[in-house]
Amino acid sequence: MYVPDVELHEAQSLEEAAALLSRFSPHARLLAGGTDLLVDLKSGRLSADHLISVSRVAFLHGITETEDGLRIGALTTITQLDRHPVVRQRFAALRDATSQMAAPQIRNVATVGGNVVSAVPCADLPPLLTVMNGAARIWSTSGERTVALASFFVGVRQTVLKPGELLTAVFLPEQPGRFGAAYARFSLREGNSIAVAGVAAGIQLGADGRVDDARVALGAVSPTPKLVAAAREILVGEEPDPRVFAKAADAAMDAAEPICDVRGTAGFRREIVAVMARRALTSAWERARGTKP
Amino acid sequence: MIVSRNLLINGQTYPVAVDPSDTLLDVVRDRIGLTGTKKGCNVGDCGACTVIVDGQAMNACLLLAVQMEGKAITTIEGLAKDGALTPVQKAFVHEGGTQCGFCTPGMLMSATALLEENRDPTIHEIKNALSGNLCRCTGYAGILRAVSRCENYRGDGTCTKKADSDHNDSGKGKVGLTNAGPWTSVGVSIPRVDAVDKVTGRIQYTADISLSNMVYGKILGSPIAHGRVKRMDTSKAEALKGVLWVLTSRDVTDTQYGVSPARYDEHIFARDKVRHVGDEVAAVAAIDEKTAEKAVSLIEVEYEELPVLLDPFEAVADGAPLIHERYKRNINTHVDQVFGDVEGGFARAHYVREETFTGNSIYQCPLEPHATLATWDSDGTLVLYTSTQVPHYVQYMMAHILHMPLGKIRVIRPAVGGGFGGKAETTPLDICAAIFSRKLGRPVKMIYSREEMFHHGRGRHKQHMKFKLGVDREGKITAFKSEIYLDGGAYSSFGVATAYYAGSVIPTLYDIPAYKYDGYRVMTNKPACGAMRGHGVPQPRFAFECLLNMIADDLGIDPVEIRLRNAIHPDTKTINEMDVGSCEFRATLEAAAAKSNWPQKYGKLPKGKGIGIASGGFVSGAGYCIYRGQVQLSHEKPREPFVKKSIFPHANAIVKISEDGMAAILLIGAAEIGQGSDTVLTQMCAESLGIPVSRMRIRSEDSDISPLDLGSYSSRVTLMAGHAVSRAGVAVVDKMKPYAADLLGCAETQVVAGNARMYVQGDESKSIPWEEVARKYFNANGPLVGTGCYKPPDGLGGDYKGATVGTSPAYSFGTAICEVSVDLETGKVKLDRFTDYHDCGTPINPMAVHGQVEGAVAMGASEALLEDVVFDEKGRIVNPNLHGYLIMTIKDAPEIFSGLVDSYEPRGPFGAKEIGEGSTLPVLGAVAHAIAHATGVWIKDLPITPEKILQALRQKEQVTEPVPAR
Repeated sequence: MYVPDVELHEAQSLEEAAALLSRFSPHARLLAGGTDLLVDLKSGRLSADHLISVSRVAFLHGITETEDGLRIGALTTITQLDRHPVVRQRFAALRDATSQMAAPQIRNVATVGGNVVSAVPCADLPPLLTVMNGAARIWSTSGERTVALASFFVGVRQTVLKPGELLTAVFLPEQPGRFGAAYARFSLREGNSIAVAGVAAGIQLGADGRVDDARVALGAVSPTPKLVAAAREILVGEEPDPRVFAKAADAAMDAAEPICDVRGTAGFRREIVAVMARRALTSAWERARGTKP
Repeated sequence: MIVSRNLLINGQTYPVAVDPSDTLLDVVRDRIGLTGTKKGCNVGDCGACTVIVDGQAMNACLLLAVQMEGKAITTIEGLAKDGALTPVQKAFVHEGGTQCGFCTPGMLMSATALLEENRDPTIHEIKNALSGNLCRCTGYAGILRAVSRCENYRGDGTCTKKADSDHNDSGKGKVGLTNAGPWTSVGVSIPRVDAVDKVTGRIQYTADISLSNMVYGKILGSPIAHGRVKRMDTSKAEALKGVLWVLTSRDVTDTQYGVSPARYDEHIFARDKVRHVGDEVAAVAAIDEKTAEKAVSLIEVEYEELPVLLDPFEAVADGAPLIHERYKRNINTHVDQVFGDVEGGFARAHYVREETFTGNSIYQCPLEPHATLATWDSDGTLVLYTSTQVPHYVQYMMAHILHMPLGKIRVIRPAVGGGFGGKAETTPLDICAAIFSRKLGRPVKMIYSREEMFHHGRGRHKQHMKFKLGVDREGKITAFKSEIYLDGGAYSSFGVATAYYAGSVIPTLYDIPAYKYDGYRVMTNKPACGAMRGHGVPQPRFAFECLLNMIADDLGIDPVEIRLRNAIHPDTKTINEMDVGSCEFRATLEAAAAKSNWPQKYGKLPKGKGIGIASGGFVSGAGYCIYRGQVQLSHEKPREPFVKKSIFPHANAIVKISEDGMAAILLIGAAEIGQGSDTVLTQMCAESLGIPVSRMRIRSEDSDISPLDLGSYSSRVTLMAGHAVSRAGVAVVDKMKPYAADLLGCAETQVVAGNARMYVQGDESKSIPWEEVARKYFNANGPLVGTGCYKPPDGLGGDYKGATVGTSPAYSFGTAICEVSVDLETGKVKLDRFTDYHDCGTPINPMAVHGQVEGAVAMGASEALLEDVVFDEKGRIVNPNLHGYLIMTIKDAPEIFSGLVDSYEPRGPFGAKEIGEGSTLPVLGAVAHAIAHATGVWIKDLPITPEKILQALRQKEQVTEPVPAR
């Protein structure tokens, strides 16, 4: 259980990181917080001869308010995100995930960028960031591009990132009025746990109190944080109430593609998805109405 | 490529040469020598390696040392300044925040990071901050108390005293009335004698010890569960730079070893075939552990795969392949016991219910991984540092394996980070390290990884139980019949005893007039199962208590009442001839029911809320030694016929008084594994010497220093070693009496020792300092030494086959009441509260007793709800780690009230008996009952997962749904 012999490169800039990655590809791995990567290297699930650390790249650090939203640098730790005053005031839904993920020791080291770019199905932030209309800021030597998180993930541990591209930040647009998001997650244990199923919901209410728009995204029960189109169809135009949420939750359950593993069978996970979807929708609705922080 | 870094640790700069792949954990421990930071899992699951980096708690195992320059790192060694403990360290000492101590440094670092930011955290904030630190001993109760009350320990005058919450009841203190009391050292909640060393990280576990010129070893385990080794090529491993020796079955004897002499069935390395994933195939010694690990992966082995048996019912089926030729139908042990008229008992029963229950595969998960360090003295003595509960049995077995006298083997047991039965055997690490060290002439250290621990196994047997219970109109038991299949794994281990225990400790609680037990321990291609806390009994006890509760409900009798009607009385010989002495079982039932407001709650709570009850009890030490005959190399002894008495004393102690009379050194081989034996033995010895604990030291770790004790298993230490140390103390006082009498001018028989003085009985004004008498003795005679020993009473148990298992000088009793909330939509169970009352005789140290109960509750509840070692169809463990195999965190643990009823055991020292294992026994059944009460469905197979609860609720809905009309 040792990290195999590696060479560590401290990139000082994005350009240098990209150059090192391309030079040592496919035997190189990008190192951010390392809470997953080091475990994978120790266990032999992944191998690498070169680790390219980006910790010194200032551009990747920090949470900044922009005119139209929040830029969360890829190296922001989960704790930094959880405690940031702007997050606490205006993006409180994020804390549904950040307060529950793993354990404090991990949250103090693990990064938002890592949680997103690893594209592990049970990651907590991707479904939530997706319903909050988050976007990935992607950098390469040929320039920057932005990809909505809804189309960022393509498979288990696979994203739209091309060779030479780096995730630099996650961008969250300012949450509009009468919009609420929430994340409900089920785990077998209360502390330091992995999600068995997680559902994120976002609800945009109209002035009449009906649902103008809605998003439901699944975590841990599909290869990618899957947006449930059927749930949106059920919700839009409706007066929010438990019955409608239950219908949408059933749609979420039908859309889930869970696997059977040590944490639960597919059948159980599906049932849990329905419950989590109802709870996430209810919370999101409460936030949209301003009755829940 | 090695680079140099300046690491700022505990305010001091350490220039170190590091390899980019080195973690901060390895550098801090191995390069800088700060071993207080522990390696428990190496992948961020357990938190034992927590350090503070720039104010934040982090896992040192997940940080690369090369990246740590310029950061302020604090380890456990950096907390106490100039030897003065921080408030939170003091609180851990005084509130029972540490037991085995292995999680303590990490726990303290997380707590310190929290407290530096928030001096007055809420319980919720504390739980959140400590949720990444696993503890297997304390049930987190003492830890939570310590952190929440740490303000009380601030020495700067800013103390805001926090009120004690209602968390325990240590009885009315009637203890002592029947003896010479009042006592001053016994019955007192003093902090553990090793607590300060544990909260400062100073105490050393085996893996923390390094000897000059030391090298490392690693074992290659089989990747398949059943097969023959066809070919092995070690040349690539041998060619790796840094490899010193590759050891295979060619290099070792074919001596078989194990636990029960009649069933030694393990080889050092697989001879004919491998029988489970992880079965030892070869081993490598190398200059460092990383090289050894790499070399092991370079050994090429070709296997011929054989059919894999994972289910005991398949394994006993006709035509199933045999895992060992010697165990026909793969049955390793068959128990067939009948007591009384069973059929008659069922015939006269008013009501009979039969149910099937299934247990789970539980692994002890001590936080400290097994470790061994072997070295040989120039005179040919093997010195073995090992993380063990049973130093003597390791000595006995190593003598057998290495074919050398026991006297040439010195076993040193450094601090042990928890055992729970999983460290009760000689391990392949002990054997390989000794063989490597002899050949290489260098000390050899070997440590299991967390995954290797799971493959070594020795956890709780999964039991398949068919129970039938008959009662009369009043609910009095008329007959009981049990049939149990124990999934044994690939080797015998302790399993013979397990199979007998699964039957023998059932009738020690209730009056059972007729009893039949059929037990089958079956071999399967899994790691061997062994003895775990409550040895063989927790799962049958769970099943029995559930069945009794079902019957109580069926008959409309309150579950407390049905227990009171059946509870045995003191001084009872049970149907299977166990001698029960003191018994305050009824008092535990009544106290637990009253404290929990049972009558107001049972059957009266809203849906989703439940309350449940179960009872349990255990032996206070096994009546007989594991091997027969005297202490001697087993093959030199004649085949020993069984006699119903102990050949040699099971516990032995020496007390040596310093020449100035100011210190007493207690020498005893009893194994401190976190349960607190060093502390309670010191207390008992101090009491009998008449001096305070502060004048005593205990040396229990070295077989060269301390006489034989059989070790920490079967909850034997308080009673057996307690007698030995008290008698040794009395022997010292007896030697001093003539000198005291002379100085006091009274008769020898009038001399009494107490409060560090010797005085004339009845006239305390006539006294002299204790040490003055000790000096007079030394002046005249030389060393002042006393010895004491303990043999269990002769003639324990009946004359039937297996009658020895379950015999004991005394039995404990206890009752647990559990309250839960169940989320009926997800099946998730939240444990709200446990109310426990136990009869442990006199509590020698009430705080330590409550600590055992709290730990047992959390462990038992964790087993009941979360834990299961899962195998795939090829016999590979799916979850050999602490993120797949889940044990409770501080956020999951219930609030616990631990109470003790007044009791005095005449066969125990100062009236004491056991607590550590008995307190586990009621827990599983109480959880299951509370869930059944909350949901209306009984889950009869463990663990009780949300998925099983949901499934049962669905089935019930379907059954009760009215059939639609056509």
